[in-house]
Amino acid sequence: MEQIERRAFMKGAAIGVLTFTVGGVEVLLTPSAARAQGVPLRTLTAAQAATLDALGETLVPGARQAGISHFVDQQISIPAEEALLEARILNVRPPYANFYRAALGAVERASQALNNGQGFAQLGEAEQRGFVDNMRQNKIEGWQGPAGPFVYLLLRSDAVDVVYGTMDGYAALGIPYMPHIAPSRRW
Amino acid sequence: MANEKVDVVIVGAGASGSVFAAVLTRAGKKVVLLETGPDWQMSDLISSDIWARRVKTAGAPFLLEGKNPFGYSYQSGWGVGGAALHYFANFPRLLPNDFKIKSEHNRAHDWPISYEDVAPFYDKVAQDIGVSGDAKAEEIWRPAGRPYPMPPMKTFRHGDVWLKGFEAVGIRMVLAAVGMNSTEFKGRPACIYDGWCHVGCPIGALANPNVTYLTEARNAGADVRPWSTATRVLTNQPGTRITGVEYYDQKKERQVQEASVVVLAAWAAQNPRILLNSATDKHPKGLANSNGLVGKYMMAHFNSGTWAMFDEDLQNHMGTTGAQYMSYDRYSKTSHKGAFGSSFITAGSALKTSDLGGFANARLDLFGPDLQLFMKRGARGLTRFGTFGEAMPNIENRVELASDKDEVGMPLGRIIHSYDQDAIAVWNANFEEGLKIAKATGAKEVWSARGNMPTIHLMGGTIMGTGTENSVVNSYGQTHEVPNLYIAGPGIFATAGASNPTYTIFALSLRGAEQLASKWSTVAG
Repeated sequence: MEQIERRAFMKGAAIGVLTFTVGGVEVLLTPSAARAQGVPLRTLTAAQAATLDALGETLVPGARQAGISHFVDQQISIPAEEALLEARILNVRPPYANFYRAALGAVERASQALNNGQGFAQLGEAEQRGFVDNMRQNKIEGWQGPAGPFVYLLLRSDAVDVVYGTMDGYAALGIPYMPHIAPSRRW
Repeated sequence: MANEKVDVVIVGAGASGSVFAAVLTRAGKKVVLLETGPDWQMSDLISSDIWARRVKTAGAPFLLEGKNPFGYSYQSGWGVGGAALHYFANFPRLLPNDFKIKSEHNRAHDWPISYEDVAPFYDKVAQDIGVSGDAKAEEIWRPAGRPYPMPPMKTFRHGDVWLKGFEAVGIRMVLAAVGMNSTEFKGRPACIYDGWCHVGCPIGALANPNVTYLTEARNAGADVRPWSTATRVLTNQPGTRITGVEYYDQKKERQVQEASVVVLAAWAAQNPRILLNSATDKHPKGLANSNGLVGKYMMAHFNSGTWAMFDEDLQNHMGTTGAQYMSYDRYSKTSHKGAFGSSFITAGSALKTSDLGGFANARLDLFGPDLQLFMKRGARGLTRFGTFGEAMPNIENRVELASDKDEVGMPLGRIIHSYDQDAIAVWNANFEEGLKIAKATGAKEVWSARGNMPTIHLMGGTIMGTGTENSVVNSYGQTHEVPNLYIAGPGIFATAGASNPTYTIFALSLRGAEQLASKWSTVAG
């Protein structure tokens, strides 16, 4: 079974997509396609995904549509040694799901405490930007969870990944991708 | 499970382990390499910062403490090829002043060898695996040696624009020495300058172990065992000789591989972890650790980066992740007033969008529409140069065992690391000079890449010296306490210098491996 899973993973890597489960069947999709098709989340709750979508969009416009929640959800649902998250590079201790739960929980608690019970996803754009700017500078009083500046750094990296780290992202910026081995799909 | 005894077990199939494997198989020895991660193939090296994270560290984490915790994941490896599967391949050397800091400044300690002892091995490595550069030009800073086997790499506008700035402050730049092919070399193709070196070069234009020494070792019969995690080095009953290595295979089953000689080449932090976990009643503080120096004197480089934004299109996506230009003009230990330690300058690295080195991180304070605008401008006009700095060895910077354990019951390692005031002073001085250089280029905007003080290139932990009073190993990597146990890699550096370490890792490993092969009967018993 382990070998089968590994082959499936490697196949996904070779064509530049991730493995999502749809109707009990594993399919290979980009995160944006998974979002567009409404693929069920495996680890994040709907509320956590809504917070992550809103945070991602605030950090890097386009992150929501690029599928940041499906990207993170898929990545925290596989073994840590197979994960492609920046959390791995920033020395977050596996399992990575623990960090995301703690980080999103901290954002939600702080937002509700500061905004009369409103969660981050319910805030207006200006309020969301203000919240993120304070989180970046560790200026949110009563913050409980992973350090705000680190949450900013890591979630910003995830959002950059899905918006600008892809072949589509390079194309949008007008940068020739010039791969040795290209993902055969545009992810 | 016990395996048939072999001549040598090498723990780690990265830069240093691959050299030992090549030399010892060439000498007719039966060699086993144990590697904790997968057996990466060139076809796994997809040109993507996201997918490249697969080839970086996984497995049991290190716990990180101190004022400047060592962020190791970006630059350490996992799997066959190790960190050198995805390195930048900048190939500066250490200089003569690195080996005599105690003698010349009464600081830190001297190496037990001089530059002249290592220089022939720099030259040999260049011929073995291919180095491009201008050796003659480097002679303004170092003794003459052999020419590099290939001419320098091409340069690009995003590197060239810095030259005016360096000239303005009197810093001489030369074309960088890199472990890459400017021309075809030994059947490996020339570089095509697509800027993806840091995620692994699947065409083999960059000299990673899998296309150089490891290929030679495998062709000569070396047995490379991926998914094999070493946990202890085993000794005989009196504790006087190594008998083999305990490891866990992919099924997490315990294995023992007996050998006449063991080489630990598992990375600067992992080697001490294994030695400390190999304690017995004869070695109660850990193997080769009666003096308590295993895990001590961990060192790192820091970098002072300077960004510049130009109005013109610099084609900054092209070139190599390594440098186009380099300089040792600030390599004197006393280059900066009020600071102590060498600095090494590089300029002209290709830029990609994401990950730690991506230009989205050039302005970490930006997000939302501001970041969107910056990315569009940066895609055309952004460039960076960086200055590595040297931190002096400090016995308080160390690796030790934690109480938490990994999935096979081995204690996790803890890396404790803080910079001293000298290091901070060098870092600051290089930022100040960086801005002067950048302003003199005529760029539209310039700024320093300040943030948390970075930790790059982990070294030390099993340093070399003249005896047990000051070190763990001799200049060949042979432990003072157990003659058939060698350590290889940056862990044996006595001091850090400011140069990227991999060329020196290759050179010291070649020197150690050739000594082991020549003294085989004495060492192996």
